Amino acid sequence: MPSLTVTSRAAKVMRDQLARRGTPQACIRLGIRGGGCTGYSYLFEFEDKPPRPNDLVVEQDGVRVVVDPKSLFYLDGTEVDFETGIRGHGFKFKNPNTKDSCGCGESVSF
Amino acid sequence: MTSVSIHDTGALFQIAEPTDQRRAQRRPGRGIGIDLGTTNSLVALAPHGAAPRVLRDSSGSGLVPSVVAYTTDPPLVGRAAQALQAEHPSQVLSSVKRLMGRGLADIDFAHPYHLSEETPGLLRIDVGAPVGSQADSASRRVTPTEVSAAILRELKLRAEAELGEPCDGAVITVPAYFDDAQRQATRDAGRIAGLQVYRLLAEPTAAALAYGLDRGGEGLFAVYDLGGGTFDISLLRLHKGVFQVLATGGDSALGGDDFDRALAARLLQRSGVGEPTRNQLDAARLAARAAKERLTEATATRVALPGLPELEVTRAEFEALIEPLAQRTLRACRQALKDAGLRAPELDGVVLVGGSTRVPKIRELVAETFKRPPLADIDPDEVVAWGAAIQADILSGSAREGVTLLDVVPLSLGLETMGGIVEKIIPRNATIPIAARQVFTNYAEHQTGMVIHVVQGERELARDCRSLARFDLKGIPRLPPSMARVEVTFQLDADALLTVSARELMTGVRQSVEVKPTYGLSEEEVDRLVMESLDHAGDDYARRNAAEARVELGRVVLALRTAVAEVGHLRELLPDDERAGLEAALAAADAAMADPDAAADPLNRARTALEKVSEPFARRRMERALNAGMAGKSLHDIERALADEDALQEKRAGHTPELLEPEEP
Repeated sequence: MPSLTVTSRAAKVMRDQLARRGTPQACIRLGIRGGGCTGYSYLFEFEDKPPRPNDLVVEQDGVRVVVDPKSLFYLDGTEVDFETGIRGHGFKFKNPNTKDSCGCGESVSF
Repeated sequence: MTSVSIHDTGALFQIAEPTDQRRAQRRPGRGIGIDLGTTNSLVALAPHGAAPRVLRDSSGSGLVPSVVAYTTDPPLVGRAAQALQAEHPSQVLSSVKRLMGRGLADIDFAHPYHLSEETPGLLRIDVGAPVGSQADSASRRVTPTEVSAAILRELKLRAEAELGEPCDGAVITVPAYFDDAQRQATRDAGRIAGLQVYRLLAEPTAAALAYGLDRGGEGLFAVYDLGGGTFDISLLRLHKGVFQVLATGGDSALGGDDFDRALAARLLQRSGVGEPTRNQLDAARLAARAAKERLTEATATRVALPGLPELEVTRAEFEALIEPLAQRTLRACRQALKDAGLRAPELDGVVLVGGSTRVPKIRELVAETFKRPPLADIDPDEVVAWGAAIQADILSGSAREGVTLLDVVPLSLGLETMGGIVEKIIPRNATIPIAARQVFTNYAEHQTGMVIHVVQGERELARDCRSLARFDLKGIPRLPPSMARVEVTFQLDADALLTVSARELMTGVRQSVEVKPTYGLSEEEVDRLVMESLDHAGDDYARRNAAEARVELGRVVLALRTAVAEVGHLRELLPDDERAGLEAALAAADAAMADPDAAADPLNRARTALEKVSEPFARRRMERALNAGMAGKSLHDIERALADEDALQEKRAGHTPELLEPEEP
């Protein structure tokens, strides 16, 4: 069974951002799409629509992260974390499937 | 997803607002045009406003036979599949386009396949188990959509090998007369092949675009398309940037193959062969085809059938043979003109499509019928793919001159009313999105419900049209005949998704249904097929990675060769032993690249080795360049240069994700 994990820290930031956006019930969509300098890039956005029938829905501390079945193929085993550090604050995808990333890290190849 | 070495630079991400993906995702110059044909398919590129060009294989052919062989898993596509056809007729599928979006009841032509229909309107073709698999292996049943997807995937790979990167989306051409179910099946095939289908484009419209006929903004055009096995005539009107199909006609069993057969029969007759064997017939057909092609240029040619004396065939003899066939196409042309209410002189251009329009006699007769010389400068086999490539380039977001075509409704949408008569609500050729409504009444006093039967087609009786959906509107109050008023609204959105709603105006009772032009393949099933297509994704990645690795290695080799040449004999920069090591690594890189089918791994290894062995050399060159750069410069100059560098770094930093406000711990 393909899986995705969201750390409590990441879930908390998501929950806060959803609340601040005025859509506490919305989901967060994570996916992979074509494009970016190494071939593929992450899609990471608020999802106002309900999950689609074939989406994987991961619920962590009341926040739902949804992934479409195709992207899941590339995201299996990924852990979504939130980091604060010298490079600023942001979500981090620890994706065991990536082989290479471009300099900016925003696009990946498999 | 095999070799996984994690190299993670650890970018941090922010959650973005949802975007209109279809627009946000577009990548200019990466749109491809596909002519998905019954017999052959082609893919063409026209990036960033460039002239279109069809992508060819190593033998120079742009035509990929639309043949898929399920003798193996994954299936073979194209020429390789074609070669297996005689041996495995039920496992090697060709001309599947004729089955697209059709149900068993629609198939009124001969074919060698085992068809079944479990879900109404969804054909499946039994292709057995792969050759050589165990006797008890499950037989596989594929839909025509999946077969087309296999062809599209092959074309996509060809395009990506050329682009060196993933393509963004595709324009796929379909015959002008394809209905919604056939179009939807084609769209789904694109999706299963991993293509974003920007748009389906009518084949005649694509041909007109290839000639830039859209530039005038207005005009009337005829597109004469004579292929190997089919003939189509389409009359188009371009009005305010919209191509409308005014009339279509043709013959689905008439083409260049019939010319070959006619000439072959004549050759055998002249050789005195009364009852030819299968082999003689095949040989005669091949010889006839070759002779036909030679007669395009020559006025006479010699033909030798195996074991028979050589014959001379003149162009005049050939022309006399095909005259009756050619006349059949012209009758269809005249009928189409009549249907469209046009006279030939009103046309602004005639376009030739299909390999059989190379025959000089055909050109001559077309010119006569339409009272003007036809446009024939573009290879008639490739002209449709050209048009598709141009439209794909526009839709990929390139700044290119040309109209963005509006989609039109290919066939009228309507309702069945009393007596099975069709009331058209949205007429054919209406541009979408569009909404239209009409009020209907009851016909009997005791009537408290109404069946809304949505149909598509040009025929007057519902039973002759394609049924799209049927639903009941209940709760109509008991009123005398013609007093109840039911308003029916048809709404067709930009994706050609039809929503039909019905509302009884007195009570406000309403009922609506989303009509997906179903030919049986459900959304879930398409999703499943998309997933399954990923089973073969490994091959795609391997090919793409290899292409990328090749480019990268080539870049490093070129840079190093240039550097070594620059350095020349300077020993302090490049000692002899180091030079020897470098040359050896360069030779190894050349050897790795010499194999055109090399996988990514050996290419990457060669690059890593090259980078490693050249590292000291690169460092010394860098130091020397720095020293040379600083010599004779004041401290002030150097500081300023460093300040510029900082400014540049700052600019670059602007590309990193925006910072979040600090969160509460």
